Order: sequence, then structure tokens, then C-alpha cells
Amino acid sequence: MRVFFEQLVNGVTVGSFYALVALGYSMVYGVMKLINFAHGDLFTLGSYLGYTFLVWRAAWITERAGLWWGVLGAILFAFLANAGAGILVERVAYRPVYRAGRLPLVVSALGMSIFLQNAIMAIWGPRFQVYPGDLVPTASLRFLGLSLPLLKVVILFLSLGVMLVMYWIVEKTEFGAAVRATALDREMATLLGIDIQRVILFVFTLGPALGGMAGVMNGMYYRSIQFSMGWNYGLKAFTATILGGIGNIPGAMVGGVLLGVIETLLAGYIPGGGAWKDGFTFLILILVLIFRPTGILGEKVAEKV
Amino acid sequence: MKSRGIVVFLVLGAVLFGGQVFAEEPIRIGLQAPITGSFAIEGQMARQCVEVAAELINKQGGILGRPVEIIVADDASNPRDSALAAQKLISQGVVAAIASYGSSVTEPAADLYERNRVVCVAYGATAVRLTMGKERRYFFRTCGRDDSQGEFFARFAVETMGWRRIAIMHDNQTYGKGVAEETKKYLEPYIGEGRAEIVYYDAITPGEQDYSAALTKLRESNPDVWYYTAYYPEAGLLVRQAREMGITVPFVGSNAVPNEDFVRIAGLEYVAGTFMTQEPLPQDLNTPKAQVFFAAYRAKYGNIPSSPWPIYAADALFALAQAIENAKSIKPDDIAQAMRTMENAEGITGPIVFTERGDRKGVPYAMYRYNEKGQLELFKP
Amino acid sequence: MGAELSCTRRGRFQRFVPVLLGGFVAVFPFLPFVNDYWVDVGFFVGLYGLLGLSLNVVLGEVGLFDLGHAAFYAIGAYTTAIMNTTLNIPVLLLLPVSALVASGFAYLVMSPVIHLRGDYLCIVTIGIGEIVRIIIVNNPWGITNGPNGITGVGFPALGPFVIQTPTQFYYFVWVVVALVAFVLLRLQRSRIGRAWNAIREDEIAAEATGIDVRAYKLLAFTLGAAFAGLAGNIYAAKMAVVSPQSFLFMESALLFCIVLLGGLGSLPGVLLGAALVVVFPEVFRRFASFRLLFFGLALMVTMIFRPGGLLPRKRETLGLDGFGAQGFSAKRASPVRGGQVSLKDRSPVQPLHGSGNRPLLEVQGVTLRFGGLVAVNRYDLAVYPGRVTSLIGPNGAGKTTLFNIITGIYRPDEGKVLFRGEDITGLKPHLVVARGIARTFQNIRLFPSLTCLENVLTGLHCRGSSGFISTVLRTPFQLREEREFMEAAAYWLCRVGLWEYRNELARNLPYGRQKYLEIARALATGPELLVLDEPSSGLNERETEELMEFLQGLLREGITILLIEHDMNVVMGISDWVSVMDMGNKIAEGSPWEVYNHPRVIEAYLGKEEEWVGSTS
Repeated sequence: MRVFFEQLVNGVTVGSFYALVALGYSMVYGVMKLINFAHGDLFTLGSYLGYTFLVWRAAWITERAGLWWGVLGAILFAFLANAGAGILVERVAYRPVYRAGRLPLVVSALGMSIFLQNAIMAIWGPRFQVYPGDLVPTASLRFLGLSLPLLKVVILFLSLGVMLVMYWIVEKTEFGAAVRATALDREMATLLGIDIQRVILFVFTLGPALGGMAGVMNGMYYRSIQFSMGWNYGLKAFTATILGGIGNIPGAMVGGVLLGVIETLLAGYIPGGGAWKDGFTFLILILVLIFRPTGILGEKVAEKV
Repeated sequence: MKSRGIVVFLVLGAVLFGGQVFAEEPIRIGLQAPITGSFAIEGQMARQCVEVAAELINKQGGILGRPVEIIVADDASNPRDSALAAQKLISQGVVAAIASYGSSVTEPAADLYERNRVVCVAYGATAVRLTMGKERRYFFRTCGRDDSQGEFFARFAVETMGWRRIAIMHDNQTYGKGVAEETKKYLEPYIGEGRAEIVYYDAITPGEQDYSAALTKLRESNPDVWYYTAYYPEAGLLVRQAREMGITVPFVGSNAVPNEDFVRIAGLEYVAGTFMTQEPLPQDLNTPKAQVFFAAYRAKYGNIPSSPWPIYAADALFALAQAIENAKSIKPDDIAQAMRTMENAEGITGPIVFTERGDRKGVPYAMYRYNEKGQLELFKP
Repeated sequence: MGAELSCTRRGRFQRFVPVLLGGFVAVFPFLPFVNDYWVDVGFFVGLYGLLGLSLNVVLGEVGLFDLGHAAFYAIGAYTTAIMNTTLNIPVLLLLPVSALVASGFAYLVMSPVIHLRGDYLCIVTIGIGEIVRIIIVNNPWGITNGPNGITGVGFPALGPFVIQTPTQFYYFVWVVVALVAFVLLRLQRSRIGRAWNAIREDEIAAEATGIDVRAYKLLAFTLGAAFAGLAGNIYAAKMAVVSPQSFLFMESALLFCIVLLGGLGSLPGVLLGAALVVVFPEVFRRFASFRLLFFGLALMVTMIFRPGGLLPRKRETLGLDGFGAQGFSAKRASPVRGGQVSLKDRSPVQPLHGSGNRPLLEVQGVTLRFGGLVAVNRYDLAVYPGRVTSLIGPNGAGKTTLFNIITGIYRPDEGKVLFRGEDITGLKPHLVVARGIARTFQNIRLFPSLTCLENVLTGLHCRGSSGFISTVLRTPFQLREEREFMEAAAYWLCRVGLWEYRNELARNLPYGRQKYLEIARALATGPELLVLDEPSSGLNERETEELMEFLQGLLREGITILLIEHDMNVVMGISDWVSVMDMGNKIAEGSPWEVYNHPRVIEAYLGKEEEWVGSTS
């Protein structure tokens, strides 16, 4: 039983990373109907930016203000820089292609993903980079007989906090309503006077920014980063988005955590499960889609015939 | 007066004549490596190593008095690209090829080189069947084979250390799974005798970061030793995460694990005490070649390669250079013959001798252990 | 007869280009600078061209979002590798076997998920691709040899003639490409190809026009998988070794890019896309680690400047010249002709079965709930042949929902729908069309990127029967059927006054004409009952009168009409019977004047004076 609980915590931890990445992904997807293949690479970019910040400046900050300010600085830096990167990506790769329809957008997104990944490799090199150990908090808490790294707890709470903020923005504010309206029917939204450009800007800054934040936390938690790590997260984010229901932002979060838990339990309990984990995850996804085609929290789109 | 004139004449002549040497047409040797793709780091390091080796060779006068020129072809760890890269090198008239990294990537290339009668020396392809399957007269490799490492570990674990409950973890790719399977195979007799059992045999997914699920499972299987047979990035993460979870099981890594980056990723404190099955390290062989090579590499790149395979690539070049010198010819049959029979090739990893099938002879494995300073030391039980 | 049915008017130069390219491909290995390396590059261009063509069937023609196509490729390759190395079956024989196994797999695996929409289908195909690869790597039944792959695959041999040199493989793959392209061209210009394109444009409209959407989607996947299986066999034979590394997700993504780069549904475009994708990285080898960087950039740039692809598919401009009839006069063509034996005999000229006695369509006690909302509540409706029946009511009353129930889009919770005495409740829309009911939509659902002629031709789909084999072989039966399709389509286009727009894309038509096009498409299915959803909406007074005349003309030819209307002029003008619906319930029924003066009807419309379009003088 203790083992089960432990695996559950493992699952929620990795799931919360998936959820954070999926959140940014789902926002872009919901509003733009764009499968942003580059999102995973923006996540990677964030983790590299955080790394650069830590190596470059954090020692200075840490000396003056303490470890956690350095951490905060890294997160903030990646958040902001990624927001900028997101806007750039949208302007360069997506905006010129919107009028052409969905499929060319997918190819453009794939191209941007390849480009970003290789650009990161060109700038930072193909070696694995390691977050400096002395600049990352390593204290531990004891809780219910388990030893939990403080960082893990902070990450969990931070993720949860971010998710709640996002949920509140999207579901409870007027701007959030505008975002949701644009996601449902863009033409109609423009006709109703919603400033689409602002919505797109919002989605393309916040989405990648969240991804960047997740990237830094990921780097701090797991310590080593590499230019090709984004692909995996991108795919998981897409899966989580679908699992939770397309266009459903809370759904993406739920989907992410659920995905993490399912994966972990599969790896933990099926003999030889580690090797089959991804296969089973996809199988479960397919079954969910067959029997509950609109995802777990359901899709909020009805089609009038 | 006259003697001085003769000296001047001789010096001038030597200079001119020496200059003449390098006006000769270069000997082109191809290097096939994953410059892009998921193993880009291995490929790029391999290129750097081979180029440094080539510079060293040229500084010594080249091969048969001609400079050696390295032509690099990227195979992106993809069998299709590998075939095209090999074909490209062949069409560019390379005398021999150093290829490649990854057994399933090397195989189609090896077939092409064989068909076109070009000597091919692999540096990162450890699958047994490359030399023991189809007969290949032009194929060699400077790296070891999965089975010798597996056998060594099995014997060492049971006989020397008395470990009974064995956990084997790999990454489901050719190299990692290959070593794991061979290890399992060589443990069978011990299992039959009741002296060992495999309590855990599973794969993790490379490229991910969170291995807590697998590690929890590993811990629950209660092993005496944990053998990880794949690459250093995941190994580093695994060791760190395991130790942070409180798992104290002795860790043994295969020969792709120990390097600078592994130490960095896992962290010095956790690395101390981990074991590695490894071919004899340069530091233990004290080969002059190694010292010269690492000095030159460090001068150019600021550090030494963080992986064994690029070093095998450099050794492949040294082997070829020696073979061509021995054969005094660049014809493929002569080179192949020379490769098979030569005894005077010195590499970074020691003397390079090939078996009849093209394997590197006498690659004895030893057990190494990391000390607190992050250095590998030969383990004496 | 020899003349092309769907004759394309091309300039002389354009006709020349494919010949030129074909010639280039044919002599390529013998060109002076071409060595074995370039021949191999040419081989891979062909191989990826084949894969691109196979994905094009699914993605280009039908518009299904398939990002897991490498799975079928892998299955073809592994089938060949396994059966050749363990059972010693010759590789060439395994060519069709691989295609069959791959297509069988596709059929089994896609059947339960084929109904999924766009992006859901996308993730499912990604999942399938990954699952296949993981199964290969994990090797549960011990036949795939795991990550190491299978080695020692033999060469294809035809008797003593063995295909093993790069040049031989080059010609081998290009011959297969030519054959596949030939098959695909035949399919493109046929009933099947049109059905596929219709599905891509608007699935629901396609189903409502009589196309069995599910079957055709599966056909596309099965065929696409078969071609991919062929490619797998050739790949395995060429490389002599197959390993899971060749079938990563990136491979599927690359195929996707090939089809998009070339242009959806464009065969030469796909081949060009394959050439670019293979040659580009080779040409850029000198840039080593920046190779892929440039490739990503190239993809983006192409999509920005040529999103339709580099050689987008041009809908053929059909001139019908091939009939050998100069200045084809549609007036001469009439669907009622002797010799029209292949079209299912349901021309609009109907002998009326005892008109007025038995209802043609009966809706009995039909109820439909959406969650807690009752959209249609125990509704009864009887439509008698040869008459116009109108269904009216305030907006949101449930009229379109009732239509959707009748035509099979929804299945009612209670009640029955009978047509000609047969229970058609819950039958899928295309089967309802086959029984003789055709419909139009409130919001016009045409196939926007198809020409007007093609739109009407899709209506004729359900009246034909030539299948895959007869299409590819172009049997006399199929030829005759196509000819009759053309003539019937021409007839209907003339009837609705759209003949001169025949080659215009549907989306370019003005609104009023689009409505007529939709009606023409519905009529082409040869219905006994025509169900029109607000046919006069958006039309001005004059257009409405023309419409009424048109409908009356149809009546005279024996077609029964059921319509939803808001325009009282139309309702009063041509209806024989009116049924009034409000909040899902029937509140009145009778002749137009009876209903017009009915107190409950007035009450339902009270306060919604804007519904009363047109004066009632």
C-alpha cells in the first residue's frame, strides 16, 4: 500500500509537469486550432534559458539574497524570455500561414519545431547541460513516512497555483470569456467586437511562457537537460490535451496529471512495464476516444447540422 | 666553408623535399557518424576525435608519405541516411571508411562497403551479429562486443562479489538491450546452479527524465546489485534519483556510462562508489598514444571526450594508418589483409589487434569504481 | 472509343512536361555525372514518392489527418523481412503479400476509430504508429528481433534475374511508382475519387448526398496502407536489414510534409515533395550540423509562400469535348433515355402509385431529447406523393431536427419513420438517400473546392456501382456509367441554369446560385421525396418566385416535396399541406388557409412579427 501511494505521488509529480506543458499547449490549440509542435521545443528553450541565467547571474543573486531568489530569478527570466520567443514564433511561422488552413499550419509547426531544436543544439551544443548543483535547493521534507524533496513540493504547489490562476482567468474573467469565445468561433468573435489580436497575443505569450516556466522547474528538478528533450513533452502535452478534451483548459491540466499517474502505475505494476509504458498509454488513450470521444471533461463544441 | 655549404644545401633540400611530400595527393578516409539526430553528441565528438587523430598522423608525415584527409558523412542515426552516407563516401573514392555508431545503423552501411570492397571499421557498433553473422571480409571494429561485456559482468557479479539477486535495467535500444540480453544469457548457468537469480529485468524509456516509477519498482524487487547497461545521460539521472529516494543498492554501469557528463549529471556525492564494467582505461595503460592524443584534443577543445566511442573512432583511424603502412598499398584487399594480420598497431586504448572475423582481439573488461573525487579507479575486491 | 472521359484542356506545353519528366526519370542513371550514390538518391526519391502517394490517398484525397502512416510502412517491411528470413519465401512474391498484410492491419485497426473527427483521429494515428513501433522493439512473440532488427533479407528475383544493383533497384521502385500513380489517377477521375474529395470537403454533406462515408474512409486507409506496404517490401529488399529505427514518428511526420509540400491530392506534387525531402538534406550535407536547421526553415518558408503546395491540384476543367460532341447541348440530354441501363432506375419521371391514397413518408410519434431538452415531442407527419408539404414554426421549434431525423442524421428516442411503407428509422443518411429521399441544408453545405459539375456528380454517386476494380481497369461498364453520369449532371445543371458555371468552383458562386446548385445535387440522386430546408432564405422576391416555379416544375414531374419555410408567400403559394411546429410539438395542421387563421398558430407567432416575411395580400 505504501508503495502504491509512493507511485501515486511519483505519478502526480511527473503529471504536474505534463499538466503545465499541456496547459500552454491547450490554450494555443483551443484558440488557434493549431497543433503547436514547437511547444515542446519552447519548453526546452525555457529550460536552457533558465540554465543560462543560473550559470550567468544567479551566483551573484544568491550571494546577496539567498538561494530561492536565484531560483525565482531563473523562472522569471525564462517566463519572460519565452513569452517573447512565443510571440516571435507566432509572427514568423504561423501568422503568415493562417489564411491557408489547418494542414499547412501543421507543416509550418513541424518546421519550426525542427528549426528550434537544431537552433538550440547550435547555440548550446549537443552535450547534456546540468543545472549547477549549488544553485538549486536540495532540502527535503519528511511527510507520511516518505522523504520529499522540498523542490518537489514547491513545484507541485507552484503548478497548482498557476493552474488555478489560469482557470480563474479563463473561466471567470471577461477576457477569459473572450478567449473561450474565440476558441469556439473565431469569425463570430470578431464580429462581436472581440479583439482577436489581443487574444492571440495573450495565448501565444502565456502559453510558451508557461512552457518555459515548466522547463526551468524541470531543469532544476531533474538537473540535466538536452536539446531533444522537448519532443517527448510535446507529445505528452498533446495526449493530455486530447485526454482532457480539446479546447478545455481545466481538462488539459486534469489530462496531464492523469497521464502522469497512468504512466507511472503502468511502469510500476506491469512486469516489464517500463518498456511497454508508452504503448499502453496510447492504447488507453485510443480506448478513451472510442468510448468517450470528446475526452474526459468533454469538448465544449457542438456542431449544428 | 664547403661543409657549411653542404649543410645549407642539405637543409634547403630537406625543407623543399619535405614540402614536396605534402604536395602529394591525400589519402581520403571517410568518417560516417551521426552529426545530427538523437546521437548528435556522439557523432560530433567522433568527428573531433578523428580529426585530431588525423592531425597527429599528418604531423608525423602522414600515411605512406601522403597526408590523410577525413571526409565526414552524416548518417543521423537513421538506416536510410546511413546507406546514402556510405554510398556518398564510396563514390567519393575513399580508401577506407570509419563507420559507424549504432549497430542497426552500421549494418546497411557495412553491406554497402562490403559489396563495394571498401574496408570499414566500426567504432560504436557492438552487436554480435555484425561479425558473427554474415561473412564480411572488409569489416572490422575497434570497439568491443556485447557478449564479452555481459560475460564479464555475470562472472564478476557471481564469482567475485557473490551477488545473488541481480537487477538488470536497459533502455530498449540496440546497444543497451544487447548487453542486457548477453548478460542474462551468461547468467543462465549460474541461475541453473541456484547461485543467482534475476529479480528485475526491465527497460526505461530514454529521453525522459522521471524514472521514479521504475526505481520504486526496482527497490521493491530487493536486488543485491543493479546493472544498468545503456547510456550515461539516463544513467546519471537514474543514479541521482535512486540515491535521493534512498535506494542504496550497488550500481554497476556498462562501458557507455562512465564519463565526465555522467559525473556531472549524477552529482559527485552520488557517483562515489558506483561500479563500471569497462575496457582498460587509457590512464591504466599509460599508452603514449593516449597522452599525446588527449593533450592535442584538450588543446583544441578544452576538454577530453566524454564518451568511449569517439575514442574508438580515433583508434580506427590509427589502425587503418598502420595497416596501410604495413601493406604499403591502398588497395582494399591489401588493407584488409594487413588489418587482419598486423601486430604493431598502437591505439589510444592500447594495442589494436583483430581476430579473423574482424573483432577487436583481447578486449579484457575490468571492474572500475568511482572514488569521491569522481575519478575511476581499478577495483580490487 | 479511346477518348478521355474527363478531358482536361491543357496547353501544349503542359502536356509536354510530364513526358519530359518521365523521360528524365527513365534515363537518369545513365546521365554522365550520375554515379551509384546519385542513383541511390534517385531510388529513395522514388521510395518516398511511393510512400507519399500512399499517404496522399488518405490525407490528400480524403483529408484524414494521418500522422502514423509509418506504421503501415513498417508492417510491410517487417512482413517481408520475417517471412523471407524464416520461411524463405521469395521477396518478390512477398510484395503483394506485404501490401495485403498492411492493408488488413489498417482495416482492423482503423475500423473502430474511423468515425473520429480530425484531431482526435490525428492523435489516434500517432498512437498507432508508436504502438506498432513499440511492439516491434519489445518483440513479444519473438519474431521481430527487437531493436536490432532483422538482417539477411534477400533480393527480389524474377527467375534468374536478380534485382541487386542500385540501378536495378532504381528502376524497380520507379516502375512500382508508375503503376501506383496509374491506379491513383484512374481513381481520381472516377466515382470513388469524387466521393473521397466530397468527404474531405464536408463529411456530413457527403453522407447526406448518398456516399457511404465510413466505407470510403476505410477504403482510403486500406488502399493507402497497401501502397505503404509495397514501399516497406521494397525498402526491406534494398537495405537487406529492417530495424525499428527506420519507423520513428519523424518518418510519419516527414511523409506528412511530403504530401503537404507537394500539394494535397496532387500526384506530381507528391513526387516533387518526395524529391525535395530526399535531395535537400543530401545537397546540404556540407552544412553538417546545420542541415536540419535549414530543412526546418525550408518547411516554414514553403508554407508561408506556397501553402497550397508547390504543384497544387487543379480541378480539371471538364470540357466534355471527349464525347466527340461539339458544342454539347444539354437540352438534348435527358435522363430518360433508352440505353441508360446502368444507372439505377429512379429517374424523376415517376409513375405515381395511387396518388393521394398512401402517404409516401410517415413520421409516427417521433421523439428526440438532447440531454434534458425535448427537441421533438411525439411528432406525427404524413407526406403524400405529388404534393408539397410545408413544415413551419418559430425559430428553434425543432424543424431542422425533425428533418435530420427523417434523413437519418439523428436516431429518434421514440417513434418511427416510414418511407413507402418501409421502416427507415435510424438508417444512416446514405442509405436513406438510396431509398429515395434527398435533402438540402439550411446553411448550404456544398463542396466548396469542387467545381459545380463535380458537386452535381457526387449526387449521382449513389446511382452508380462501379467499384475499385472496374475503375482501375476502366471496364466498358465503368466507362458507360461515367458517360451517363456526365450527361445526367449536365442535364441537371442546365435545369437549374448553372450550365455556364459548370467549371467554376462552388465557393465562387453567388449565394442564390449556390442554393440552386445544392438543389441540383439533391435532384441528381434521383429522389422521390425532396426535402428542402428553408430554400428561399436569402433570396429576394423575384428569386423566390423563380424558385416556386421551379419547384412546381418538379412537382409536375412527379417529385414530392417537403420543405421548411419562413416565407409565407412560398408557404401559401405552393403548399398543399402545412404542419406547424412549436417547441417540438405539433400545434396545427391542415391546408394553408386553415393554418394561417388558426388561433394557436397566431399565438405561437405572436410577438415575432418579423417571422411573417412578405405580405399576405
